[in-house]
Formats: sequence, C-alpha cells, structure tokens
Amino acid sequence: MLERWMNATTPEGKTLGFLQNFFLLIAAFGFFFYGVEHWVIDHYMESFWARLPFYVSMIGLPLALAMFFTVHKAVRIPFTIWMVVSVLTGLLGALLHLVWNANDLGVSLFTISGLLESFQVPYRPVLAGLAHTHVGAVGLVVGLTATVKDS
Amino acid sequence: MIPALRSATTTTARTLEIVRVVLLLLILGAFVMYPVELFIIGHWLPTWESQVPFWITVPGVLFTVWIFFDRTTPWVRWAFIITMWVAILTGLVGAYWHWIWNMEDTRGIAWNWSYAMDQFHGFRPVLAAMAYTNMGVTGLACIFRAR
Repeated sequence: MLERWMNATTPEGKTLGFLQNFFLLIAAFGFFFYGVEHWVIDHYMESFWARLPFYVSMIGLPLALAMFFTVHKAVRIPFTIWMVVSVLTGLLGALLHLVWNANDLGVSLFTISGLLESFQVPYRPVLAGLAHTHVGAVGLVVGLTATVKDS
Repeated sequence: MIPALRSATTTTARTLEIVRVVLLLLILGAFVMYPVELFIIGHWLPTWESQVPFWITVPGVLFTVWIFFDRTTPWVRWAFIITMWVAILTGLVGAYWHWIWNMEDTRGIAWNWSYAMDQFHGFRPVLAAMAYTNMGVTGLACIFRAR
C-alpha cells in the first residue's frame, strides 16, 4: 500500500493512498493492541473460545503489516479473508459474552429484563467483542480497494 | 460525501468517496450505539464527567449526518472537525480518569508498575474510553482533503 501511495499521481489517488495506509495502520495497531490487551486482562484462558480473539490478532497483525509492502494476491486475498474472519469473530464474541452472562445470571435472553441484565455484567462486556468487528471492517475496506488503478 | 460520491467521474475518486462514506457510517453507528450501551451499563451517573460521552453524541450524530450531505459549507466543516477533536480528547481524558479513579478507589494514586497495571484492569475499563478517540481520528481522516 505504501508503494501505491507513493506512486499515485492524481490528487484523488494521493488522498486515497493516504486513507488506505492510515486505516491499514489502524487495523494493524488494533490487532497488536487487542492482542496485548487480551493478555493484560487475562482473556487468554484454557478454553479455545477465550483464545480465539488472540489467535485472530496473531494472524491479522503480520498480514496487515505485509499489506504495507505488497498488494500481491498471495497477501491481499488472505488478508481480506482474514478481515472477514475478524468481523465474524467480533460478532461471535459479542453473542457468546451475552449468552454466557445470561447463563451465569440464570436469566432468559428472550425477555427484555433478562437481556438488559445480561448486558450489564461488568466482567464480561458484551459489545467489547465488537472491537474485532471494527478492526476487521476497517481492514476489509482497505483489502477490497487495494488494487484500484489510479486514474 | 454523498454528493461527491454521486459526481465522482474516475475510478479513483469513486473509490475514495466510498472509503469515506463507509468509514463515516462506521463512526455514525458508533455515535448512536455507544450512548445506548453506556446507558444500559449504568454510565449515566449524577456527575458531569460520566455524562460527557452522552453529550458528545449530540454534535457527533448531528454533524456526521450533516457532513454526508454537505461538506463544503465552512462552518459545518469546522463544527465537524471540532467535534472530532472533542471526541479524541474525550477518549483520552476518559481513559486517564478511569485509571485514576480505579486507583483512588483502591489505595490512592501511585505509578509503580505492578499497582498501576492492576488498576489498569480494575473496575473501570481504561482503554474502553478510547473508542471515542478512535471515532474522532477516523472522522478527521474522512474529512481530510475532502472539498
């Protein structure tokens, strides 16, 4: 992406190159940051599900970094697919947090009060899982527009 | 953003405007959903500090929607840019306060490593506040060179 930005000749191409690199940086930083954050808050536990966001970060970070230097399909396609995985991981995480909260509290998610109670459990924040959805969505925008010709 | 997307004549210009629109939609969603989330988790307390993320929603939603349709009127641009800077500061100050208040609820403010890290993942999530910083930075990037 860096080379495409440097080679852009039109004003729109330069601005697009800047935005693509900027959002790629946000995605890369997000993967690094959430990887560290998950470790700091002791999210890395025995179960596979607790480790899933960590694995997504571990693969997402090198792919995002590689995208700075090449948009060859060998990198771009795995990167784009992995961004979709990240989006889905976030959605799954939010859903699992919500279901596990409801189980811990012994309430039903199909009642308004049960749903609201399950959202309010401080040690398992429901929407926090969506951070990976955000990182994935930002990366996906970059992946899908990475090969647009400057014209 | 939308008029620019509609009038884009080259592939590059169209792609640029699509990127801007998608990212602006993301932060618009965030400006709408975060107050809902914060209200549900009981963030609306009788202190002005706890209400700041709710109040920033008003200009946040208003000017993000406005900028979709008009990004050339100078005062609208400035209002949007200032709102994004306020969001950036809100996130940074919020993260700092969460950390400080976690410490004050425990054994007071001290910056030795193990204690500070303990309080970093205390009752109030420190980094969660920086979601607003992320939104502000994204908004500024979207308006960058957009005329």
